[in-house]
Amino acid sequence: MNAFFNMNFLTELLLSTIRMATPILFVALAETYSERAGLVNIGLDGIMSFGALIGFLIGYKTGSPTTGILAGALSGVAINMIYAFCTIRLCAPQIVYGMAINIFAPALASFIYRLSFSDTSTLIQGVSMKAMPIPVLCNIPVLGPLFFNHIPLVYMAYLLVPATAVFFNSTKAGLNFKAVGEFPKAAETLGINVVLQKYIACVICGALAGIGGAYLTICYTSTYSEGIVAGRGFIALSAVIFGRWMPSGVMLACLLFGFCDALQIRLQLLSPSTPYQLLQMIPYLCTLFVLAFFGIRKSGPKANGQPYYREER
Amino acid sequence: MKQRENLMKVIVPVLSILVAFIIGGIIMICLGKNPFQAYGFLFSGAFGSSRKIAQTLVIACPLIFTGLTAAFSYKCGVFNLGGEGQFVMGAVASIFFVTKSGIGGIAGILLSLLIGAAAGAVWGAIPGILKITRGLNEMIVSIMLNYVATLFMGYVYTTLLRDGSVPQTFAIPDSTKLAVVSKSFPVHWGVWVALFLAVAGYYFLFYTSKGFKLRAVGLNSTAAFFNGFPVNRYVLFSFIASGAVAGLGGSVELHGKQLRLMGGFGQGYGFDGVAIALIAQLNPIGTAAVAFIFAVLRKGASTLQTGMQIPTAVVDIIQALVIIFAVAGTALLKLPAIRQYINSHMGKKEVTN
Repeated sequence: MNAFFNMNFLTELLLSTIRMATPILFVALAETYSERAGLVNIGLDGIMSFGALIGFLIGYKTGSPTTGILAGALSGVAINMIYAFCTIRLCAPQIVYGMAINIFAPALASFIYRLSFSDTSTLIQGVSMKAMPIPVLCNIPVLGPLFFNHIPLVYMAYLLVPATAVFFNSTKAGLNFKAVGEFPKAAETLGINVVLQKYIACVICGALAGIGGAYLTICYTSTYSEGIVAGRGFIALSAVIFGRWMPSGVMLACLLFGFCDALQIRLQLLSPSTPYQLLQMIPYLCTLFVLAFFGIRKSGPKANGQPYYREER
Repeated sequence: MKQRENLMKVIVPVLSILVAFIIGGIIMICLGKNPFQAYGFLFSGAFGSSRKIAQTLVIACPLIFTGLTAAFSYKCGVFNLGGEGQFVMGAVASIFFVTKSGIGGIAGILLSLLIGAAAGAVWGAIPGILKITRGLNEMIVSIMLNYVATLFMGYVYTTLLRDGSVPQTFAIPDSTKLAVVSKSFPVHWGVWVALFLAVAGYYFLFYTSKGFKLRAVGLNSTAAFFNGFPVNRYVLFSFIASGAVAGLGGSVELHGKQLRLMGGFGQGYGFDGVAIALIAQLNPIGTAAVAFIFAVLRKGASTLQTGMQIPTAVVDIIQALVIIFAVAGTALLKLPAIRQYINSHMGKKEVTN
């Protein structure tokens, strides 16, 4: 029991909270951009798994984690373009298409993985990203290792939060972007190219979700296995709702879910006699409880999830 | 006009299946394999003998159940993505019942199937209740419950009902195995239950007033509400009913095929069910047909792997392409421009009146 109050345990827990929250944060921000333009994308899990594979594969072949992450982002965009074309141009139902991506992308990922590594049954060890301590700041006791000794992607994720907030609230482009999600017809009459904005949203969404997936294989495990995403896309989706479509709220929600993930891993190490399945349920149950107690009825962008027929009056 | 729309509803899925097969063939050419030979292997693996056809039907069985689960809930306008969790919980409840109660024979099977369906219904009711009372997104809730159910099943087969050193449960008693049609055609009668449910579901949705109201809620819940339909009650009912179907499916799979729980039980069946229902345009009978096609692909995939060293994942891709094309095709037909084109070029007579 002592171990619980151990300082070391606490810092470890907080440290891994920040690390575990990072992929969810990337993906939740991806969804924020998408939903702000009126596109509910529940295919995040699929995009993540494809980004995870391509990131891993390219990282492994080139030996450079940065290239891997970039490739992950690009592959995320590529997959999301299917969703974008079908929901924006064809006005296909967004939920259904998100599901289609969720089924298609993991299948494609496992197919490519099997083609690339068909002759080996052992786990392939890929590249992993090195930590980049921030000079001076990382020497502060306790806070230094907690906040200033991470891999670059972690900084990037958390810096994206204020950047997104500024973009949405204080720039013309951001306000235009939001207008598309609130009332596309009015936006169009003001000369905003609604269709283009929606495509831009999909590019951003795909890239961030792809990075979130690549984070898992390059920064978190450095191996690839099927099911590595483990529902994080859906957890990110609930983080967006729980965070009420605001970057800061979304970040807090992600930290909470990251904390649950970190906690269950720590608890597994602390008490090996407890069946690990029960501990692994923690993040999912936490998501459920948080939503049940703090979830709100509709309060997102007004035109969220609706198709936009340009010619229709 | 109506007739043409119905025709389109059949043409779109059939065409998407064809196109997906063609793209699958192109992928095989890229791998340096002969696609005709490969599809030959695939179909002979699925239809080569009466035994193989029976095995294909047995594979189709759980897919029909989860497909009906998805179709039934979407018809009411709610997205129950929790088919997998409900399927698993049905099987878990059944294995507890048959291993702990000691009731065997027909009575044991019937009770166990009932309990499985009840467990699925309870698991399916949770997202429904949370949606109605708290306004929660049913998709997220049901997905989270899938993970909880799978982990709980893991707890059951590694700890609670573990059979010795292997991480799996005890097998169900012999007397509670589902009987098969005949030795040469080993199809357990759970398949007939699935087919019966498909027909019954079709009848309910399209030929009863309750089914009509359920579809009305799905098409426009506001209009249904102002017509005095108890919208929330129908939403909850569709969750419970679809959960029960999935739970029954899990129970049937346990008694008919797997006979015990172990890792991977039911994995992916929920999402496959969603895909199947969407391709079948939420028609229960169509769902059974598409489930059978998926089963053919699955059964054939293993022969493809052993016969031609083509990874089974190619079949997953074909399946995924089918859904992408089918959904896009349906959406395409609804576009204002396309509608206009169809009306003006093909249905002149109908337009003039």
